Amino acid sequence: MNTTQESERTAPAPGALLSALENAQRENEYDYLPESILRRVAAETGEALSRVYSVATFYSFFNLKPQGKHPIVVCRGTACHTRGSLGLLKETADKLGFPDFREDEESSFTTEDKMFSVRTVACFGQCALAPVVSVDGAMYSRMTPARLCALIDDIRRGDQS
Amino acid sequence: MNAQLLATKAYNGMATVHPEVPAISVGMGTCGIGNGADTLYDALVDAATGKNIIIKKAGCFGYCALEPLLMVYHPDRPVLLFGDVKASQAADFVRAASDEAAYAALAPRALCKLSSWDFRTAAITFGEGFPDVPEWNELPFFKGQEKLVMRDCGLIDPESLDEYVAVGGYSALARAIGSMSPDEVIAEITSAGLRGRGGAGFPTGVKWQMMRQNEATERYIICNADEGDPGAYMNRNEIESDPHMLVEGMAIGAYAMGASTAIVYVRAEYPLAVHRLQKAIADATEAGLLGDRVLGTDFSLTMRIVSGAGAFVCGEETALIASIEGRAGRSSPRPPFPAAKGYLGKPTNINNVETWCNVPVILARGASYFRRFGTDRSPGTKVFSLVGKVKNTGLVELPLGMPLSDIVYGMGEGTGSRKRIKAVQTGGPSGGCIPADKFDTRVDYEALAELGAIMGSGGMVVMDEDNCMVDVARYFVGFTSAESCGACAPCREGLSQMLRILTAITRGEARAGDIATLERLSRVVRDSSLCGLGQTAANPVLTTLRYFRDEYENHIIGGRCAAGTCEALFSALCENSCPLHMNIPGYLALMGEGRLEEAFELSLRDNPLPGVMGRICHFHCQMRCKRETLDEPVAQGELHRYLADTIYKIGAQKAVWARLVDEKLPSNGLKVAIIGAGPAGLSAGFYLARLGYEVTIFESRPAAGGILRYGIPAYRLPKEVLDTELELWTLLGVTFVFNTAVGVDVSVDALSSRHDALIVASGAHADRSLGVPGEELDGVHAGYAWLEEFALGTAPVPRKRALVIGGGNVAIDTARTLARLDCEVRVAYRRSRDDMPANAVEIKGAEDEGVRFEYSLQPLEVLGTAGRVVGARFRVMRAGGVDASGRPAPVATDQTVDIPCDDVYVAVGERVDASFLSGTGVSVHTDGRIRRDALTCKASDSIWAIGDAVTGPATAAEAMGLGKQAARAIDEALMKRSVFASLFKDFGYSMQVPPEPVEALAMRSPEVPPSQRRGCFAEISQGYSGNQAVAEASRCLRCDIRANARSPWR
Ligand code: FES
Repeated sequence: MNTTQESERTAPAPGALLSALENAQRENEYDYLPESILRRVAAETGEALSRVYSVATFYSFFNLKPQGKHPIVVCRGTACHTRGSLGLLKETADKLGFPDFREDEESSFTTEDKMFSVRTVACFGQCALAPVVSVDGAMYSRMTPARLCALIDDIRRGDQS
Repeated sequence: MNAQLLATKAYNGMATVHPEVPAISVGMGTCGIGNGADTLYDALVDAATGKNIIIKKAGCFGYCALEPLLMVYHPDRPVLLFGDVKASQAADFVRAASDEAAYAALAPRALCKLSSWDFRTAAITFGEGFPDVPEWNELPFFKGQEKLVMRDCGLIDPESLDEYVAVGGYSALARAIGSMSPDEVIAEITSAGLRGRGGAGFPTGVKWQMMRQNEATERYIICNADEGDPGAYMNRNEIESDPHMLVEGMAIGAYAMGASTAIVYVRAEYPLAVHRLQKAIADATEAGLLGDRVLGTDFSLTMRIVSGAGAFVCGEETALIASIEGRAGRSSPRPPFPAAKGYLGKPTNINNVETWCNVPVILARGASYFRRFGTDRSPGTKVFSLVGKVKNTGLVELPLGMPLSDIVYGMGEGTGSRKRIKAVQTGGPSGGCIPADKFDTRVDYEALAELGAIMGSGGMVVMDEDNCMVDVARYFVGFTSAESCGACAPCREGLSQMLRILTAITRGEARAGDIATLERLSRVVRDSSLCGLGQTAANPVLTTLRYFRDEYENHIIGGRCAAGTCEALFSALCENSCPLHMNIPGYLALMGEGRLEEAFELSLRDNPLPGVMGRICHFHCQMRCKRETLDEPVAQGELHRYLADTIYKIGAQKAVWARLVDEKLPSNGLKVAIIGAGPAGLSAGFYLARLGYEVTIFESRPAAGGILRYGIPAYRLPKEVLDTELELWTLLGVTFVFNTAVGVDVSVDALSSRHDALIVASGAHADRSLGVPGEELDGVHAGYAWLEEFALGTAPVPRKRALVIGGGNVAIDTARTLARLDCEVRVAYRRSRDDMPANAVEIKGAEDEGVRFEYSLQPLEVLGTAGRVVGARFRVMRAGGVDASGRPAPVATDQTVDIPCDDVYVAVGERVDASFLSGTGVSVHTDGRIRRDALTCKASDSIWAIGDAVTGPATAAEAMGLGKQAARAIDEALMKRSVFASLFKDFGYSMQVPPEPVEALAMRSPEVPPSQRRGCFAEISQGYSGNQAVAEASRCLRCDIRANARSPWR
């Protein structure tokens, strides 16, 4: 007996909606889920739009706003917190012109020119080398404010030339 | 059953697990890759082309602090482990792998060796050799670890099924489905006593049995690999390094519980784990270890992965099921329990990754083998992620029941700095903070629960003195309140109210009653929430309230965050770490603007002994100076001193002093007696006199200053500076009564009856003795007492060869004084140079002056003939494991040495002697220190206690800080008013952020050369020139310029 097929007849494959949303977001140029995409996913998976929306807003992985070209993700896990990740986040926000950014009010911000998006993550699982920041998908451990600022400057310079 | 299949795979796998040709493996976990393991791997592959060397990938060996980790295999030799390897070294390693001589030359640089390895399901002997390289489990980090779960991690290629089979993988599954009934499997797990590794430790066997009992056509098993605890990553590593052990464990469980579908719920943030697990499932399915008719039996199993999308509540079983079903992960009430009605309404069993990973070992080796590890009620091991403020971070797997101190100080080796460890947080947002004085606790489920914490998935975050415990509580509640699914009101509303209060406390906006409210709310949330998230979310708050209540009170009542975390409570870190809370950026700014007199006045109001403290302070401020991350801390002390010296040179202090005298508050008719004219008593007297009190200071010696006059030698602090500064006390109307010992010349009762308040500031200068034979000999002197006699001119003339025993500032002051008296001086200390408590500049100065230091010597006996000292005998010590002081503990060797000498000076610390207070209602600690309220310094109804008398030997600045704090508290208590802030003044200075700093070391002031110091007690340091001072002041980064900065005395 092949149980997989039987269970799929009674219900969608486990996590189908999550996977569909994850893929849709990955394919989007600005790494987010605009309403049009939410509608499309709802149609494709046969789920009610309200449910799709509920799922998309529940999980922190999904962005409902367009993201910048260079994502900066600051870990705010416990290990990173005890080793100063809040300072890194503040430094970045200051530097990119969002001195009033407060992590408990807003989940992320994107610069006007769509160059940078800054968001936080609960933990990268690299806690031994805290604090950890990812920039453009690359991981940087034992990060310091000075190094992070230099990195941002480098990216800006690189994009201009 | 297909035994041949496993045998072939094992044979193939052995070629790389225990290779017959040289091999190099690189740890390629996420943490390794994040630190360059991938480029290292590529470089190795390049360097090895055309050579008969295997370059392979492996999982993570757990020592994450030293990533990337690399292992070198040579036939018949131990495997060598190297840490922190750079891609640029690839060619060296390849050469070493192929060339015997290069190999031998490289070996001493190895961290450790593995002569053999116990894979638990198999064992391999690699070979003998390199007697000087320690075995892996001799390194502090690995000592005491038992790798039951991490048995293969770092030693096999996680993407190779063959390698897994070669070390005994899938033999447990073969045994279970080949020769055991499902009930027998469950019985084995039950008798092993395995408990759930993800949370509260429910017995796994019982859980499996409950599931099996439920009749159903379809059952599901689920692995919870959501690892929601931010700051714990053992599950990620377990999957990344050895995915097949999870597959095998789940397959055995599915067989036992009669499930034919297995689901692994993994966080989306763990792409590598997902990738490797996918491959493991595919490979196992292809090999017939999963899928239809596993290993040719009737048992079939489909396994698949669902990736989670970051929601902590999904660690909760019902929420996790909702999430897998594609809904928002919200909890639902239980019963029904998942074992009865779970995924798609069918019986479902959920276990944590690590629980599953233990299963193959139990089946392969039997329950009794498993029970050899851990304790009776908590058998086996647990993997912890040891992170935070600890030197050796990484994954440690230890038998349950090990004391926390062995983990934090033994494996972690303390903070790796001079910082003191304050607490360990276990169990993440559901866990609690365990204070350092409870580190003798043996780690198991029950012991942690008794402390108010939980084991959880095994997060262990070490916090030091720079971590604020209120902030930690706020951090976790911020996390859980954001992650609360909102299904029940206590959790949703309760947590957000708790967060509101905690935030107010960290911003200095809370009121005294808030602690009680917070405590009440915490209990309600704990007792009435729907699921585990809410029920445990209050733990971080309840434990910090239980063990660190004084920190909460200090925030609310004292308005301070001693750790320097809550930014709204201070202006800059230097100000916050200064025990006197001097507005350092303020007077530096004034100096920069050339407003010297105002700078002096500002600093004088904060600290009445600027010239003295600028010279001899411990400079707590420099230890937190942010400039250090750039080059060097601002030399605040030199500036402080320059300021005072310059003002005194031009006589400008007179006008400033006159202003302070003029603005004294009108006399309130209250009298205060202070016992002791040291830094603490002087500071209290200064502020109380300004507040309008009639202050009398009683001092047993002939002049004021205490340790400043009688302890610290003149070459560090010329007494004229002290005398100049003391004039201010007289101007302010403070009366000194010298040569009067309280308890001898006048009784405490007599003082109490004549005064409205009594302040005890009698210090800590009773010298400790060595407690060894021969201390009564002629020529043995107590260090502090001798310094004092020397200052008074009553010390006996020292003989030629002096031997000072001790490593603190008193020992060094004694040694340098003796060197100036033309003695040949040796200092013997029981630890190493780095571990000396004395200030580094003092040690350096002593060395320059020809003082000889002998380290690792513990005194055994003072030797004498005819009643006179002729030498001392010492036990030679060596550095052992790190102790609670954060330094390597001295361990005895069997060697002894004798050092001949004519005089011995014992300076091994001082203690408090407050015997004169007996019968006054003041209580003391066992070591003699006076007990007092931490916030008000109140020791009894009318007695306050400050300074070293309450702290034991501490710094002059700390003593003065307590004096200041007590003055404020006494005024508030006696006058029921709050006017302390009026003693300070706002001078208005630039609040412009300075230009981008240029790297520049601190200015150095000229010194008297060592060759001219014999026989000379003139001050060594000459102080800054005007230009130097301006340049140094401009190095301040002005951290006080922030939107929410608060003035120190607001
Ligand atoms: S806490 Fe930052 S990586 Fe885990």
